[in-house]
Amino acid sequence: MKGIRGISKLSTRLYAAQVARKLDVSVEHVKFQPQEVQVTKLPSGLMIASLDNYSPGSRIGVFVKAGCRYESPENQGVTHLLRLAANLTTKGASAFRICRGVEAVGGSLGVTSSRENMIYSVDCLRDHIDTVMEYLINVTTAPEFRPWEVSDLTPRVKMDKALAAQTPQMGVIEGLHGAAYKNALSNSLYCPDYMVSQVDSDHMHNFIQNNFTSARMALVGLGVEHNVLKQVGEQFLNIRSGMGTAGTKAQYRGGEVRVQNGSSLVHSVVVSEGAAVGTDEAMAFSVLQHVLGAGPHIKRGSNPTSKLFQGVAKATADPFDASAFNSNYSDSGLFGVYTISQSAAAGDVIKAAISQVKAVTGGVSEADLTRAKTQLKAEYLMSLESSEGLLDAMGSQALSGGVYHSPEAIAQKIDSVSATDVANAANKFVSGKKSMASSGNLIKTPFVDEI
Amino acid sequence: MTSFSERHFTHNSTQTFFRQNNMASRAPATTGRLLVSFRKWYYNAAGFNKIGLMRDDTIHEDSDVKEALRRLPEKVYNDRMFRLKRALDLSMKQAVLPKEQRTQYEEDVHYLEPYLKEVIRERKEVEEWSKK
Repeated sequence: MKGIRGISKLSTRLYAAQVARKLDVSVEHVKFQPQEVQVTKLPSGLMIASLDNYSPGSRIGVFVKAGCRYESPENQGVTHLLRLAANLTTKGASAFRICRGVEAVGGSLGVTSSRENMIYSVDCLRDHIDTVMEYLINVTTAPEFRPWEVSDLTPRVKMDKALAAQTPQMGVIEGLHGAAYKNALSNSLYCPDYMVSQVDSDHMHNFIQNNFTSARMALVGLGVEHNVLKQVGEQFLNIRSGMGTAGTKAQYRGGEVRVQNGSSLVHSVVVSEGAAVGTDEAMAFSVLQHVLGAGPHIKRGSNPTSKLFQGVAKATADPFDASAFNSNYSDSGLFGVYTISQSAAAGDVIKAAISQVKAVTGGVSEADLTRAKTQLKAEYLMSLESSEGLLDAMGSQALSGGVYHSPEAIAQKIDSVSATDVANAANKFVSGKKSMASSGNLIKTPFVDEI
Repeated sequence: MTSFSERHFTHNSTQTFFRQNNMASRAPATTGRLLVSFRKWYYNAAGFNKIGLMRDDTIHEDSDVKEALRRLPEKVYNDRMFRLKRALDLSMKQAVLPKEQRTQYEEDVHYLEPYLKEVIRERKEVEEWSKK
């Protein structure tokens, strides 16, 4: 009968039980030790930084000191084209193959560029990191910039510029940098109109030759082993050695740019020269930014901790926004206030915001100082929570200083800022030569010398 | 052997034959003097040099060739256009160029060949990937 016949087969079945028995022999649990960020400098000048965070996904970035500040007057806009040209044919792989190859392993390849740095990053699952690393190295060291592929980028440049023009903030910030500096930092992140179809393959090759040199690059990895990165860096990323062309020192001049258009909202930013990245003064400016208010912490809330917000609320009943603007570059910085207001109230809003900063020169209360420091620490630590933020922090620090400061060290530095430092920073803003950029219906907006 | 498309300026020439075989005809570096002189004779017998054309001017324009032509540098493309216009003019007048102005075998540059090879390679790569 079925039951008796089945019994003889019992020894060959009960697979689950057999397997379970094997697992009783307990395997020693692998203990993962938390790792620190390791930074080394190769003889060619290339910085390697990595952190093995045991995550199933890895992320690798090549950071280059080749932002738009290194553009010369002859090749304005070349960094915009380089941003768009990351997927074009290289010596080792055609554009089609890069696209399909990266997609096939479920990874992604992207470029970001700021005024200082260009960042090429890939991410994918840990097992496939070799494949995407090959494409990344190809893109950063051996692009071909075929003339027809470069001229096919023109519609994408126009699309980028159109998208940027949709947000008034972009126009105001680009205008601000153009007005505040004489060179280097005055270059825009976007290609200027007159260069849109004029940037060609030669410009791009020359820019790469002069700026993508080993001493100005950093290879950063998250979820990869340090030795693997070191090998890759030694073998592949030392094609161009030396420092390349030196960038010019940014000269602050303090100017004004006004863009009159039909918008009923006036976007306006008033700044004066701030501090360079990594200095103690920069830390003081960051704390000052949070003392004054750097964006709402609760959506649709009343922003009670923002001095700027509360001060301006007394000057106008119309909807407005005011926040402190702070940016730091390698040799200069900008600090000031960014306001958005109705066009009729623009003058009152700007003046009220500036007077709030003036009030800080008289001194900051302990409570405000502690609150600002906590908010700054929280913002920094939360930016490290995502893999992009962490990679960015590691890469920027490796490039600019050659050392990675742990979050604890940064928190200590923040704590060491005193109330006098903050007051001095506010004083520097009040007494410094101002730059201003505004856009919107500017009838009631004061000029920079009327503030 | 080499093709007959040089004699025909219309689009019913044997273009694939042309492409494959002519690439082989220039390849070996160790051509004997006999082979070279045969080639020269054939080039002149084909006759397109009499109206001032080069070999790549006579190629049949299919989609690959069109893409390769799009990629030509401006100067090369303009020169090609000039030669084609001159040839059409001569053809209308039922005339040929004087012997000094005809394209010589040594002057003939296969300007389109590298671009065409690249276009075909890229197309094959796409086809390979689509099969997967």
